[in-house]
Amino acid sequence: MNLSWTKSRSSLARHVMCSSPWLSVNRAGGGPRSSAPRRRLRLGVWFGAVFLLLGCAATTWAQIRIQIPEPGGAGVPIAVSPLANPASHADRHLAETFANVVALDLDLSGLFRVISPRAHIEQPDEYELDHINFSNWSVLDALALVKGAFWLEGDRLTVEARLFDVTQRKQLGGRRYQGRLSEVRRMAHRFADQVMRYLTGEEGPFNSRIAFASNRTGGRAKEIYVTDVSGTHVRRVTRDRTLSLAPSWSPTGEKLLFISYKRGGPHPFIFDLASGRMARISARVAYTGSWSPDGRRVAVSLDQNGNSDLYLLSPRGDLLRRLTHDAGIDVSPAWSPDGTQLAFCSGRSGNPQIYVMDIDSGKTRRVTFTGGYNTDPDWSPKGDRIAYTSRAGGFRIMWIGPDGGAATEITRGEHPSWSPDGRYLVLSRRGRIFMVSRDGRSSKQLTAGGGDDTSPAWSPRLS
Amino acid sequence: MKYSRLHVGWLTSVLAVSLGLSACPKRTPQTLVGSGSSMPPSSSRMDESAIEAGDRVQDRVQSEEPEASPLEQIYFDFDSFALSAEAEQILQMNAEWLKNNTDAKVEIEGHCDNRGTAAYNLALGAKRAKAAHDYLIGLGIPSERLSTITYGEELPVCNELNESCWQRNRRGHFQVINR
Repeated sequence: MNLSWTKSRSSLARHVMCSSPWLSVNRAGGGPRSSAPRRRLRLGVWFGAVFLLLGCAATTWAQIRIQIPEPGGAGVPIAVSPLANPASHADRHLAETFANVVALDLDLSGLFRVISPRAHIEQPDEYELDHINFSNWSVLDALALVKGAFWLEGDRLTVEARLFDVTQRKQLGGRRYQGRLSEVRRMAHRFADQVMRYLTGEEGPFNSRIAFASNRTGGRAKEIYVTDVSGTHVRRVTRDRTLSLAPSWSPTGEKLLFISYKRGGPHPFIFDLASGRMARISARVAYTGSWSPDGRRVAVSLDQNGNSDLYLLSPRGDLLRRLTHDAGIDVSPAWSPDGTQLAFCSGRSGNPQIYVMDIDSGKTRRVTFTGGYNTDPDWSPKGDRIAYTSRAGGFRIMWIGPDGGAATEITRGEHPSWSPDGRYLVLSRRGRIFMVSRDGRSSKQLTAGGGDDTSPAWSPRLS
Repeated sequence: MKYSRLHVGWLTSVLAVSLGLSACPKRTPQTLVGSGSSMPPSSSRMDESAIEAGDRVQDRVQSEEPEASPLEQIYFDFDSFALSAEAEQILQMNAEWLKNNTDAKVEIEGHCDNRGTAAYNLALGAKRAKAAHDYLIGLGIPSERLSTITYGEELPVCNELNESCWQRNRRGHFQVINR
């Protein structure tokens, strides 16, 4: 895939100059074309100097009236307009697809209130990129606006999308994407991540995928599925009509490690999504596994005479090192983002608890001390939290610091997996996959496939 | 295809040796394109055994019928793989049957109820199967007639949310695999 994106000149100018109405800015896009700026410039040279000192000291967002949104709140009201197609005004479907994908992602973030397209006054093609009629949007009470355009030459698609502050009537940022027609959704996910970056300071998690195991084909067989975060494009990965379990992503999001019974076992397999090829990497029975952040190793729980222990393997299945040597159950290895430690679940104390091992030294310490059943650890990409499943009158997702301490409940459910930006988790709850913010305040259901959707895994950001 | 004792003994020793040599580098993993393509011809008996094992699992997974077996099931306490006195009695009866049916091979399955989490339950099911396996070995059943497999919580026999159903799922099941 060949995606290149360049910031539009205007947005770059904006960010660099800490723009305000008091400064004369060369506005290539956005903003009224009146003589108001010139009038203000005469008055405001003095103010401008002071403002520059104050304004540039603060963050860009502090100058606009959009507050940094928090999950579970009312949400920033945002309108997402279908793309204009200046060349031909055709391909409505494409225009709407981009907007729908962006809108759905922003809704899932729990930070926005997306204004219904039915309320839009302005048709997408009724605008020039350089002249936005903001009153068409402020009348809908939108504080933020996404507008853009696309050009299609055969299979070659170019999309330009911009984010505007409606009240302040200015552009906050923009992106240009180029690629194949089939990549329009990926472009939209990327732009949704940028919208989140413009408004919260952190890039969003939507340019990624979620894998899970499900029996939605009917009966007890489980297959592996992959979906975009919104759950609207679920693709079946295995067709083995047996039990395929516990998918785990490679660091590039191109491969899945999972457990399959297709050769008895169960055994660990690696599946390459692009080629559709699948290979068993060990003839040993395995229960779970996960990829190291640098992609060079996999940690796998392997059977040794009915007992499970953790091992390090190469992705081709070469045995590198045995990590645990105890008679208790040892499963569910989860790498720290710097690749130096493994969190895992062990029954060595008599009931399952979360432990952390320093991989080089092998030093292992217990992390969870509350509750009698703590399993399924996953380490946040931010490095500061380990989420896990706790059983205490039903399953709950908890998080704890890697050094231990107090455990905090996030929400009900099991099998947590962190988003690439570390602000969200996916989990399963009553056979459905949910996405929650890490404080548990925002919760969105992602799947409703008619079966039991289990063990979700959130991929890293896609390249 | 019925295995002769020699066949089985050879196969078992190959498996045992390969497990014991697990520290050695693995041979190149097989590459399968999708699941519909046929396997390339293989000279290794272990490959054939793996395919048969896979087929056997698929039959177990796909079958909607109750798990019929001439051998009785045993049941486990919550979160436990310990053998109760009743379980030991059943295992003794099963051992008798095996001694009277010397050609039979049995795969011992460990199962769990769904009140645990999936990965931990896979490992717990393995411990349950191993507990039953070791007890039968202790009663004199040759190890080459026994194999174990875990199904964790993946093959429940019932789905109700009550102790009666959960108890039925926390089982060791003895599947005769060569008849």
